[in-house]
Amino acid sequence: MASFYRKWRSKMEFGLFTLPVLICVAVAFYIPFVMTVRYSLTKWNGISKHPKFIGLDNFKQIFTGDANFTNAAWFTVKYAVLYIVLINVLAILLALVLDAKLKSKTWLRAAFFIPYILSLVIVGFIWKFIFMQGFESLGNSTGWHIFKMSWLGEPGLAFISVLFVSIWQSIGFYLVIYIAGLQSVPGDLKEAAVVDGAGPVRRFFSVTLPLLAPSITIAVFMALTNSIKVFDVILSLTGGGPGGTTYSVAYDIYRDTFTNNLYGYGTAKALILFVAVLIITVIQLTIFKRREVEA
Amino acid sequence: MSSTNKAARWVGEVVMVLLSLVFLYPLFLAIFNSFKSFQEVMSDVIALPKHWTFDNYTYVWNFINYPRLFLNNTIITVLGLAGIVLVSSIAAYKLARTKSRLSGIVYFICIMPMLIPFQSIMLTVLKTARFLHLSDSTWGLGLLYWGFGAPLAVFIYHGFVKGIPKELDESAMIDGASGFGLFFRIIFPLLKSVTATIVIIDVMWIWNDFLLPLLMVNGSPTTKTLTLAAYTFVGQYTSDWQYAMTAMVMAVLPSIVVFMFLQKYIVKGVVAGAVKG
Repeated sequence: MASFYRKWRSKMEFGLFTLPVLICVAVAFYIPFVMTVRYSLTKWNGISKHPKFIGLDNFKQIFTGDANFTNAAWFTVKYAVLYIVLINVLAILLALVLDAKLKSKTWLRAAFFIPYILSLVIVGFIWKFIFMQGFESLGNSTGWHIFKMSWLGEPGLAFISVLFVSIWQSIGFYLVIYIAGLQSVPGDLKEAAVVDGAGPVRRFFSVTLPLLAPSITIAVFMALTNSIKVFDVILSLTGGGPGGTTYSVAYDIYRDTFTNNLYGYGTAKALILFVAVLIITVIQLTIFKRREVEA
Repeated sequence: MSSTNKAARWVGEVVMVLLSLVFLYPLFLAIFNSFKSFQEVMSDVIALPKHWTFDNYTYVWNFINYPRLFLNNTIITVLGLAGIVLVSSIAAYKLARTKSRLSGIVYFICIMPMLIPFQSIMLTVLKTARFLHLSDSTWGLGLLYWGFGAPLAVFIYHGFVKGIPKELDESAMIDGASGFGLFFRIIFPLLKSVTATIVIIDVMWIWNDFLLPLLMVNGSPTTKTLTLAAYTFVGQYTSDWQYAMTAMVMAVLPSIVVFMFLQKYIVKGVVAGAVKG
C-alpha cells in the first residue's frame, strides 16, 4: 500500500514538473505544426471560413511549375554554401590572429562581436543606407570604381551584398567559437611541433586544424541551420530585389502567405522547408557522431 | 632579433586595430548621420557633422513613443526569460532524474522542436495565438516565448543536471524537503551558471527578434517593439535617411550598452550555448 502510494506520488510529481513545458511547447510548435500539415493540403485565401481540401495538388504545383520557388531554392543553396565556407575560413583566420599575444586583444574581440548583438533587420537598413548613400560619397571622394557600382541594383552584385552583410553581422559569433577552440589546443603540442622543425603553415594544418575539429563541426552546423533560414537581412536590405533575384525560400514562403494571401500554398512550401531542414540536420548529426567516435 | 620581433608585433597590433575600425565603420557612419540635418546627409554622407543636432532624436523619440516601446521590450524580454527559466529548469531537472520510457519520450518531445524552422509554422502560430487571445498584446508575446525558448533551455539544463550528484536530492529528502521545495531550495541555486548562460543567449534573441513580433504585435503602435518600430518607421520615411539612421541608432543603443557591461559573460554564454546546443 505504501509503495503504491509512493509510486502514485512520484507520477504526480513527474506530471507537475513536466506539464508546464509540454503545454508551452505544444502551443508554440506542435499545434501549429499539425495545423500546417492540414493547411498544406488545402486551397485557402485566408478569408473564407472553410479551406478547400485539394490533397497533394499544392506540392505537385510547387515541384512542377513554380519558377519563384525554384529560384528561391537555388538562391538559398548558393547562399548557404558560400556563407558556410566563407564565414568559417574567415573566422578561423581571424581567430588565429586574435589568439596571438596582442595587447588590444580584448578590444578587438569586442569590436568584431558588436554587429552580432544587433538585430539583422536593422543591420540590413544601415547597410542599405551605406550602399545607396555612403558609397556615392565614397565614390566621389576617392574616385574608385568599386563604389560607383550598383551594389543593390544588379542581380549578381545584390547577391554578393546580401552575403557580405550577413557575414559582417555574424562573423563575431563564429570567431568566439574558434577562439574558445584554439584555447583548448595544448601549448606543448605546438612547441613540440616547433622543435620538430615544422613551419607555421605545416603547424597549422598538422596540429592546430585537426584539434579544432570539434569547433569546426559546431560552427558549420550553426552556419548551416542559420543560412537555410535567411530572411531578416533580405527583407530590409534588398526586399527581394532586383527583379526578385534575392528571394530566399523563407522569404518566398513569407511573401506567398502574407503578401499574396496564398495561405494553403505557402504552408505547403513551409512544410517542404521543414523536411529539407530535417534531412540536412540528420545528415549533419550523423557526420558529427562519426567524428566524435574517431576523436 | 628581439627588437625586430617587437616591431613586427607593434605593426601587427596597429594593423589589427585599424582593421577593426574599418569593420565598425558602418556603425560610426550611422551614428554620425543621425546627428546631421537632411541637407547635410544629402550633401556628404561620409563627413563628420558640421552642425551637431539632436533634432532627429527628439523627433523620433516622440514619433515612435520611445519610452513606451522600451517598456514593451523590457516586459516581453523579462516575462519571456522568467518563464523559460522556470518552466524549462523544473522539467529538465525531473527528466534528468527520472529513468523511465515516459521520461525519455517527454524529453524527446521537448527538444525535437529545435529542428522546426519558424517560417514553417509562422502562419499557424499566429492563428493559435489569436485563438488563445495572446496576439496583439505585449504580455501575450512574452508568454509565447516560453514555448519558443524551451527546447534549447531544456536541452542545456538537462545536460547540466546530470552532473549534479543524486545524493544531494536524497539527503535533502531525509531532511524533509520534497517536490518544488527541494528543487527551489537545493537544486536551482546550483544551476546558477547555466541559468546565466540561458539568460544571456535569450536576452539577445528576444530583445532583437523581428518576425514573431511582426506577426504578433504589429497591429497597434502601443504594442510594438523597438526593432519593429524602427522597421515600420523606415518604411514610412524611405528617403529621410537622417530619421532612419536615428531610429536605427536608438533601436540598437540598449543592446550595445548592455553588451559593454556584460561583455565577458556574453562571450562565455555564447561559447557555452553553442558548444552544448
